[in-house]
Amino acid sequence: MASGKAVDAVYKVKIPAAAAKLRELYYMAHYIHSHTAHFYALAAPDFVVGPDAPPAERNILGLVNKVGIDIGREVIRQREITQIIQQMIGGRATHPVWNLPGGVTRALAREDRETIKGYVPGLVQFGELGLKLFDDLVLRNKGYLDLILGDGYELVTNYMGLVDDKNRVTFYDGTVRVVDPDGVEIDRYRESEYLEHVAEHVEPYTYLKFPYLKKLGWQGFKEGKGTSIFQAAPLARFNVASGMATPKAQAAYEKMFATFGRKPVHKLMGMHWARLIELLYAAERLAELIKDEEILDPNVRVIPSSTPSEGVGIVEAPRGTLTHHYVTDSRGIVTRANLIVGTTNNNAPISMAVTKAAKKFVGAGGEIREGLLNRVEMAFRIYDPCFSCATHSLPGQMPLVIEIKNAAGETIRTVSR
Amino acid sequence: MKTLVLGLGNTILCDDGIGIYVARSLAGRLGAAADVKEAELAGLDLIEMLKGYERAYIVDAIELDGEEPGTVFRMRPDDIRSTPRLASFHDINLVTALELGRRLELPMPREVVIFGVQVADALTLGESCTAAVELVIGPLCDEIAGEIAQAPHRNISIGLSERRKRGA
Repeated sequence: MASGKAVDAVYKVKIPAAAAKLRELYYMAHYIHSHTAHFYALAAPDFVVGPDAPPAERNILGLVNKVGIDIGREVIRQREITQIIQQMIGGRATHPVWNLPGGVTRALAREDRETIKGYVPGLVQFGELGLKLFDDLVLRNKGYLDLILGDGYELVTNYMGLVDDKNRVTFYDGTVRVVDPDGVEIDRYRESEYLEHVAEHVEPYTYLKFPYLKKLGWQGFKEGKGTSIFQAAPLARFNVASGMATPKAQAAYEKMFATFGRKPVHKLMGMHWARLIELLYAAERLAELIKDEEILDPNVRVIPSSTPSEGVGIVEAPRGTLTHHYVTDSRGIVTRANLIVGTTNNNAPISMAVTKAAKKFVGAGGEIREGLLNRVEMAFRIYDPCFSCATHSLPGQMPLVIEIKNAAGETIRTVSR
Repeated sequence: MKTLVLGLGNTILCDDGIGIYVARSLAGRLGAAADVKEAELAGLDLIEMLKGYERAYIVDAIELDGEEPGTVFRMRPDDIRSTPRLASFHDINLVTALELGRRLELPMPREVVIFGVQVADALTLGESCTAAVELVIGPLCDEIAGEIAQAPHRNISIGLSERRKRGA
């Protein structure tokens, strides 16, 4: 979606309203699909089965044992439906083939619209189901609630997210807004201005860069007020925004902040809660879009007539603000490109959150408590289930190594997968 | 026996597309004996693709240390360690997907055979395979089609145990 917007900008073309709505419709289905996998398959087992449960049980199979077959089937079914919707609109469920400079290749057929309409009630109920499960199994469990509200997973930074003209959370189009750890707006920019606002720090030990707020300068891995590091993911979007643009999601948004008792929320486990609220928002927004008569408008593309040159596209990807920047020659061949993908924004926060979790959960004297490795991994899974999109690396297993050092910096024990 | 041939891969990453190319070569050849599908998917999505079949042949790229490009490994789900989609780090793996489907009382295949084709290059942008991997498409299609039809055929695949015997 970001690439679609970037090539629109490269060709200096404003796409028709129906094309923008179709892209957003596709994107809402994608969000439900992505957030479902992230939460149910990869994150929920930590909560629902338990962070200290053996890995053989702490997985989606253990989750199904806990929540029951009917809910498990519903997860599979609703994910399948979102794949069908994406394929119906974009030609392919993964890597759609209908985004073009100036819009999309085809309008939505009336019969496809009716099919999607039929899916809507189930998708909205599925969004509500996720929040009910979270309420029943996580929030009403004192141990898990303590995990969420405790200080093991906390990081105080700035927050970034795309907002609409009322500062509400939006995924496809809007303005990038940044607030500081107190929730005060400190930056705001449109797509074409991103280079004036975000820079990327490089460390020699990794090829993944560390974005930061340019006007504050790179200050190292420092948290607290004044830091130039920001987070960009579901909880960050919520911290940045004034609310949600759909009623059920808004009610859930208000309940979440009331539970934490403050805004911004720095408790990282709130990320999973925010993710589930976003899933509900995506379902509600999908319902709005499919009802919109303009969604059937056959005018879905403006043929570009300008010479291509340079453009930036920004969307909110499920795991954070996603920026695509292309420079082309006069034929439209890309000569330079820069991508800041969702998880890349969170590279520094992930590093810091993992460090804090390791320090918190390793006992005095380097004692390894049960589930230590998992509790450290959980700090990572808050942001991204795998990291593979941000690094394009496929190690095949979590290459997790924890070195426990004494006060002199000497390694006294190593724990690894 | 209701049978599926499923090619997995990405056709813009050279040899990573091998599963798709095999599936495309088999499409139309197997008639009513088997359905042929192709996908870039993994994890939970595999449940929906495999649901309702009694037997499934899955073709994907594989990258094992020290193996010759174009070597075809015949595996069972429990053998899976190194294919990009079936051992997905981004989602659940094939074994979990199969077990989850069964746990949800969905009709999952009783028999699953995976052909992992050793790649030479699955990272460079390119819409065709390298020569060594390209050569495998025809013989692997013959092996799969022959096995489904229970007709005489030549097997080019080897088991992982044979790899171990060779000292890899």
